[in-house]
Amino acid sequence: MKNTTLPSLRRFISNFYLVLVLIFLYAPILTMMVLSFNTSKSRTQWGGFTTSWYQQMFSDANIISALYNTLMIALVSALVACIIGTAAAIAINSMKPVSRTIVMGITNIPMLNADIVTGISLMLGFIAFGISLGFKTILISHITFNIPYVILSVMPKLKQTSKSTYEAALDLGASPLYAFFKVVFPDILPGVLSGFLLAFTMSLDDFIITHFTRGAGINTLSTLIYSQVRRGIQPSMYALSTIIFLTVLVLLLIANYRPKAKPAYSETAQTRSREETAPESGTRTYLKKKLRAEQLHKWTMVTAAVFILLAAGLISIKNYAMANNNELYVYNWGEYIDEEVVAMFEEETGIKVTYDMFETNEEMYPVIDAGAVLYDVVCPSDYMIQRMMENDMLAEINFDNIPNIDQINPRYLEMSQAFDPQNRYSVPYCWGTVGIIYNTKRLEELNVAPPTSWSDLWNPALSGEILMQDSVRDTFMVALKDLGYSMNTTDPGELQEAKELLIAQKPLVQAYVIDQVRDKMIGGEAAVGVIYSGELLYIQEEVEALELDYQLDYVIPKEGTNLWIDAWVIPSNAQNKENAEKWINFLCRPDIALRNFEYITYPTPNQGAFELLDKDTQENKSVFPNLDELENCEVFQYLGDEDDAVYNHLWKEVKSK
Amino acid sequence: MSKKLLSFPYLLWMLGFTIIPLGLIVYFGLTDKTGAFTLANILAIATEEHAKALWLSLGLSLLATLFCLLFAYPLAMILRSKGVSGSAFIVFIFILPMWMNFLLRTLAWQTLLEKSGVINGLLAALRLPPQGLINTPAAIILGMVYNFLPFMVLPIYNVLVKIDDNTINAARDLGANTFQTFWYVMLPLSIPGIISGITMVFVPALTTFVISNLLGGSKILLIGNVIEQEFTKGNNWNLGSGISLVMMIFILISMALIAKYDKNGEGTVI
Repeated sequence: MKNTTLPSLRRFISNFYLVLVLIFLYAPILTMMVLSFNTSKSRTQWGGFTTSWYQQMFSDANIISALYNTLMIALVSALVACIIGTAAAIAINSMKPVSRTIVMGITNIPMLNADIVTGISLMLGFIAFGISLGFKTILISHITFNIPYVILSVMPKLKQTSKSTYEAALDLGASPLYAFFKVVFPDILPGVLSGFLLAFTMSLDDFIITHFTRGAGINTLSTLIYSQVRRGIQPSMYALSTIIFLTVLVLLLIANYRPKAKPAYSETAQTRSREETAPESGTRTYLKKKLRAEQLHKWTMVTAAVFILLAAGLISIKNYAMANNNELYVYNWGEYIDEEVVAMFEEETGIKVTYDMFETNEEMYPVIDAGAVLYDVVCPSDYMIQRMMENDMLAEINFDNIPNIDQINPRYLEMSQAFDPQNRYSVPYCWGTVGIIYNTKRLEELNVAPPTSWSDLWNPALSGEILMQDSVRDTFMVALKDLGYSMNTTDPGELQEAKELLIAQKPLVQAYVIDQVRDKMIGGEAAVGVIYSGELLYIQEEVEALELDYQLDYVIPKEGTNLWIDAWVIPSNAQNKENAEKWINFLCRPDIALRNFEYITYPTPNQGAFELLDKDTQENKSVFPNLDELENCEVFQYLGDEDDAVYNHLWKEVKSK
Repeated sequence: MSKKLLSFPYLLWMLGFTIIPLGLIVYFGLTDKTGAFTLANILAIATEEHAKALWLSLGLSLLATLFCLLFAYPLAMILRSKGVSGSAFIVFIFILPMWMNFLLRTLAWQTLLEKSGVINGLLAALRLPPQGLINTPAAIILGMVYNFLPFMVLPIYNVLVKIDDNTINAARDLGANTFQTFWYVMLPLSIPGIISGITMVFVPALTTFVISNLLGGSKILLIGNVIEQEFTKGNNWNLGSGISLVMMIFILISMALIAKYDKNGEGTVI
């Protein structure tokens, strides 16, 4: 099976196949690199060439600290795993077969177990032991799943070392430790190094386990990206990935300059042996070993170089915040604040803010409930505030500390009474409606009139053109309103009807998404979508900037809709309540509220900020609908754990159809 | 004796961070919210929507594993035939994508597959009708094959590369043709690699929730999505743990398979 014996046709076919596989593997990576130079944030529209995302990446503190965490965790977890794993491998090697089999069985657990089970079990473990989730829990988890890789890489090397040389060293008077480092260690070093490399790569690429074990304010690149998925990835992430990828590629090309070498990674990394390996013929083994060792040395150099380069870059950029007792832990929706505002707050008050994000209310709730992380101020939606209040999870706000509450238009405080009857626990931050966004041109092509009612989302002509929300209450709201029921109903009959209606709609639906509705509508992926009104301003600006040949309009269906409010609350287990009040007060200041409005583009309940807006925006009815004209609109209410479970169950039935 | 002491840190670590956490999953899975013993969380797998999600996951991940095997085996053969020179680099080419984040790679597929995405753009340039690629079971299988292919290629390559050329030459000398050499010599010798490849692809594919969310438009509910939702959205840890326990049956089967086929220690798990 040597190259030379292959007929040229066969060689052509095999090379062709290789190229096809490479295209398959690298097409997405190439796409990402191209996108890193795209002026538009949209993943489907080309807005022109730019390098601004690269500049933005280096000035984005979130990205830099996520990169720092990712590399630190990968490096430290790989190092610790190497030490523990190598020691364990030596011990296992000298064990009796029975105990060896048992220990190797345990070693296999983290490797073969599903990531989701490993992640969840670790999370349960940390909570049970009272270890608060944070950097250290991610580190522990990564060490846990890295150790087996090291053991499995070192074991085969240990088998190849002969006991007699070690014993000879002892006979000649070497201490066991000295003999180990002089005699055994050089032989197993290639295995340790490949274990290190494998562990480093695995840690770098992990998302699921980190997702379940991370805590407040700690992001790795994976979790940062996941939190951006819902609202559209920032192209600076593509820029960062491009840089990492190219760095590794270039270093590799240099390292592989000498072509005659065996693949260290694949050769040694995954071999695991339990029983004795057959002795290989002498010279061949020696040569192979030598080549491997050389290859591995190159490898370590590459990894070390990558790390040093990146770390050096980071340290020069990252501003280490001084340790400070004056702290505030904020838990907010993704992309729900102008980051400048956080910096301004820190500067004005000297309070150090740890800022963390969630994607859905349902995801936020158990985090606060379990007390895994103690947040000081959180921004949930209406019905979730009610739920937290009823379960005694909220502290009453001291309004003496929030003089800027005067700036909030009393109408919205009145609206808030639907979930916070005496306005004692919450301060409104953003509000809006839910409606249908539609692509005028696409509807014309399909010969469908612009929607005016929820029932238009059941039009068979729109098959594959509908985007629905991927959250229980929002989707059931659409069906319940269409049926003329209250969106807070708990009547089993009404809910069954709504469920049947949603199941009937499912074949027409293109996808259930959350904030991706925005990008997909801009990209022309669908004709209609259910959307939060706050996205409108951004969408309309983007359509204009990209000079698209279609228009995206918004309508509040005539059957009425969900009037929603997101408001700041203080959890009862908050450690820095006064700082939290300072934070809320700061956000109520008209100039700050205006900044946030311009960034988030969700309607603000802040009258002072509203008055600072230009007339066009004030009169944009999609953004600021006339509250008096809205009929049948409701605010979501919390229905209690049991009815919540009923909703969840019905939703699963819809999803699994 | 002193050597055995070296395994203490490891065993302690595994006890604290693997065995006890798994024990907690068992505990949550077998109790209800009040802490009383119940089998309801485990039996919940039989309800219509869970059973359907499980069958769908099994189907999709089996298909993805099969495709991975079909793509990876010839690939590993080709890599082996490239001999010593050059293959170091080629093999690394398959690891390199892992340095680019898993989520970003999958998202990039979204861009490629979307209605107005790159592939449909190419089709339009060739005057072919656009295809509905995204948000289908096929897109999920593609995402699985893409993400897990290296886990199949590497173990198979590792066993193939260890087959002595003399063995193959001997088969040839004794009159075996190319196919016979493959069928009676190469294939049986590579079984440990195939088995570890299959488990390394099948288990993560079976339990994924990210790929089905990103490439399936959340329209397709897999068992991984059910577990994830119970923990992060439904706030029902007992049910989530119960279903995780059911999933562990499949993982145990994989472990048993590996143990069976990997007796000679030549097998490779990535």
